[in-house]
Amino acid sequence: MSVNTEKKSAVLKERRTFDVGSWLIPFVAVLVAMFIAAVLMYLQGASPLTAYTSLLKSAFGSAPGIGKTLGKATPLVLSGLAVTIGLRAGLFNIGAQGQLISGALASAWAGYAIHGLPMAIHLPLALLIGAFFGSLTGLIAGALKAYRGIHEVISTIMLNSIVISLVDYLASGPFKEHGQPLTRTAPVLKSALVPKFFGLPLGFFIALALSYAVWWVFRRTTSGFRLETVGRNKNAAWYAGINVKRSILIAMAVGGAVAGLGGAVETLGITGRFEPAFNAGLGFDGITIALLGRANPLGIIPGAILIGGMRAGAASMQFDAGVAPEIVDLLMALILFFVSAPLLTRWLRRGKGAASSVTGGWGS
Amino acid sequence: MSQLKSKRNYLLIAVAAVFAYFYHKDGAVTTSVVSTAISFGLPLALAAMVGIMCERTGIVNIGIEGTMLISAFAAFFVASTVKSIIIGLIAAIVVGMLAGFLLALMAVSWRMDQIIAGTIINILATGLTSFLFKQGHTLPSAMPEIDIPVLQNIPFFGPVLFMHGPITYFGLIFIVFLWVALFHTVWGLRTRAVGEHPGSADTAGVSVLRLRYLNVTLAGAVGGIAGAFLSLELVGSFERGFTAGKGFTALALMIFGRWNPLGALAAAMFFGIAQAVTNQLMIDQVVNIPQQFVNMLPYVMTILVLAFAAGKVRPPAAEGQPYEKEQA
Amino acid sequence: MIKRVTAGVVTVALAALGFALPVNAAVRTVSEASCGTASAFCVGLVTDTGKVDDKSFNQSAWEGAKAAAATAGGFSKYIETIDPKDYASNIDLFAAKKYNVIVTVGFLMADATAAAAVKYPTIKFIGVDQFNGSTAGNYSGLIFPEDKAGFLAGYLAGYLTKTKKVGAVLGTDVVPPVKRYGEGFKNGIAYAAKEQNKKIKTTIVYHAPDNAFNDPAWGATTAGQLLGQGYDVIFGAGGKTGNGALGKVAKKKGALCIGVDTDQWLTVPEAQPCLVTSAMKLLANGVSSLVAQAKAGSMKGGNFMGAIGIAPFHALSKVVPAAVAKKVKALTAKVLSGTVKTGVKA
Repeated sequence: MSVNTEKKSAVLKERRTFDVGSWLIPFVAVLVAMFIAAVLMYLQGASPLTAYTSLLKSAFGSAPGIGKTLGKATPLVLSGLAVTIGLRAGLFNIGAQGQLISGALASAWAGYAIHGLPMAIHLPLALLIGAFFGSLTGLIAGALKAYRGIHEVISTIMLNSIVISLVDYLASGPFKEHGQPLTRTAPVLKSALVPKFFGLPLGFFIALALSYAVWWVFRRTTSGFRLETVGRNKNAAWYAGINVKRSILIAMAVGGAVAGLGGAVETLGITGRFEPAFNAGLGFDGITIALLGRANPLGIIPGAILIGGMRAGAASMQFDAGVAPEIVDLLMALILFFVSAPLLTRWLRRGKGAASSVTGGWGS
Repeated sequence: MSQLKSKRNYLLIAVAAVFAYFYHKDGAVTTSVVSTAISFGLPLALAAMVGIMCERTGIVNIGIEGTMLISAFAAFFVASTVKSIIIGLIAAIVVGMLAGFLLALMAVSWRMDQIIAGTIINILATGLTSFLFKQGHTLPSAMPEIDIPVLQNIPFFGPVLFMHGPITYFGLIFIVFLWVALFHTVWGLRTRAVGEHPGSADTAGVSVLRLRYLNVTLAGAVGGIAGAFLSLELVGSFERGFTAGKGFTALALMIFGRWNPLGALAAAMFFGIAQAVTNQLMIDQVVNIPQQFVNMLPYVMTILVLAFAAGKVRPPAAEGQPYEKEQA
Repeated sequence: MIKRVTAGVVTVALAALGFALPVNAAVRTVSEASCGTASAFCVGLVTDTGKVDDKSFNQSAWEGAKAAAATAGGFSKYIETIDPKDYASNIDLFAAKKYNVIVTVGFLMADATAAAAVKYPTIKFIGVDQFNGSTAGNYSGLIFPEDKAGFLAGYLAGYLTKTKKVGAVLGTDVVPPVKRYGEGFKNGIAYAAKEQNKKIKTTIVYHAPDNAFNDPAWGATTAGQLLGQGYDVIFGAGGKTGNGALGKVAKKKGALCIGVDTDQWLTVPEAQPCLVTSAMKLLANGVSSLVAQAKAGSMKGGNFMGAIGIAPFHALSKVVPAAVAKKVKALTAKVLSGTVKTGVKA
């Protein structure tokens, strides 16, 4: 069986949305991961029951709790979506982190430096500026791939490091808040802050809408079909008359824009200013989320909410049960492992499961 | 090809001339900059070897970062618990091999997507080490620095090459050894064949799956040694997120060095020199460039070199693809 | 065969997991349920994005808080912040349980603590390393004149260097306490150089702000570079980054190192071969005396200046000539009283 047929079967699988297996596997994976983590907590002298109760209650048990969970989930949905768009087009965008940070800083700048606009203009403008700079960062990697054949994993790893240094410089130099020792920008003006919607962060709904839009584009439009064809087989796409270079550029630019928007929504909706530490790891979590959701634009949403909830509830878990908050990283790793490894698939499907292949190798 | 070689020779002469000039100006500083570059560059070079061993055999290993992280963790905690540096080193190698084996299991037997498999190793290592990490452990003793008699007295080369810890010596020798093995032994020939044309290699009687298992697991051992270098030899402790992206940088070095051990070593030393010069600029207080710009320099250089100079980098042909025998 | 190996691997891995497990339970002398009642005294601590076992300021602050709570017959507990966006919500967790005192550690938390002090006027807040510019009467910033500790350490270094080259490997200069240590250190060396009528080369290397306190490999290599150029006394200050520098100096025969924040002879044993002293701020004492004041009802708003000092020489007293030890002692008194100024702006 070749890689291509595997990919086709993965796509086919996903078309049958109500296939029990596709819901059962992640569900069982979460349970197994939670069980292993529970054993570790128990060995550590903490009560897993108290820990999980506390986690559930603080993350999903109250309106402010749900608000916090969705707030944490928002940048994860967007960075997961950025990685997903790449995967669909056959690109492994490890650069979501750099794209997200570019967007975060740019939107913070737009939020504090542009004065005198009404909210109806200022907020969308700041969001767009964030998306634009994220897109630019992604586009560099896209251009390097399309015109120079440089693998996107390499260029995005390099770009992540470059952006982190650059942003660190800007936030401690030209963009620094006056008269403050901290490496951070001034607070964003009120007119650029993302408002809450009945106590829930509006940014989350933007993320949901975008996920749906991306899903729709891939499902129903020719541009989406073209990108996927390129993702499945570049040569075939080329023979079919699809402009492969353009597709790569589009995929990286759109992915970067979505990641940048994630940074912007986080900055304008949650943190209210840019500080380098605020965005640590959000883009890398996006990789996990995209893989958990099997590169399905809608499939990433439950994963993002789950991990957002764990991140929101980690402090309570330590507060009530004395469990180190790093348990969340461990849970994420175990869940991803069980979702991706064919062990569970084989067991649940009694041997009929196929190995999953979402990305290609370095390829060219 | 010969044109390429002569180009490379000119480059080497130019580099040597630059060093000679600086050494003439200030011997002590030049020596310490180059010696420091080796400390910065060695873990990167060893990590790049992990990548080369895997990719030459057709397996993409993006889990180098995680392999190093979890072996650095194992090295430190085992060494401090059983009070033996040697056992700590062995533990790092074993854990590194386990990580390699796990990658082989996922990539070769389960035919999972290799980049996902590597990502899983990274995330697992981060999760495990940060959850299990506990402060308050100390090594029984520091890893000694061994100054090699006689050789250490050679000006410049003595302090640069012959005054290091044991893992540094091992690493430098291993890289040369790997280069020889890869291009001048049967193992190397088979490895490269499997990486380029697994089908033909199979027909010629090479067991593709077994060789991939072997190489990826051995590469894990090298990753374990790289991790042990960080926690036992360079720093003498372990912290969360200790590898700080070195495993990812190594991937770039591997490509930069065109999947050739000596090439990757040169690339790693280039990174090391850039870091050491950054520090030196600060020590000498000559120029006031924001540090961040110097920090990003190696990455910018890599992109520029890949984009304009190297041009024709080509990975092993069968990379990233699972292999199944009866396919025809 | 592979299946069996896999099973073996899993078994070994699980056994290894059980082996080195951390214990992270809070200290419970009285139960938390009684917090908020008149008889109970509850102290909560929120760390900066660090751990309470960091051998550095989070740990010292937690020890101070724990000790003070125990003395008062009270209850203490901590939360380790993972994400700097959660400062406020972590404080809220303690407030919801009606804790009497909440200690927040690290200057990054100043804004969140000031806001919480307004939100919860009945709770006392202690902000470690936070300059408190607010007028809230229930928020006290605990700050330290790090420049004085650095000055004294630099003075000692100025007398101990044989090569007349002294270096410092520090976290980032955007963090004010680190910069105060560094500047004080530099001026202390200059002071010693002037007394001896010598020229001493002083070099301070700062890490870039990103990952500044968590890069021991950089600390070690940079210290190695300084050693290679004949620097023989090195000040390592900046969390793990500084500790990395200390560990590297320890391997070089004859070189000396100076630690930071706490007496690192005790917390970083691998540095013992070179650690002649540490520039200390008495964090645990400062926190516990403020907690005691809060208990007694005498805690005031504004800022509370904590004490500093330099740590005992321990085994390395053999490299400090008696005359030098005497001079350092004399200068310590003068610096503490303010008769000798460090020349560093607060």
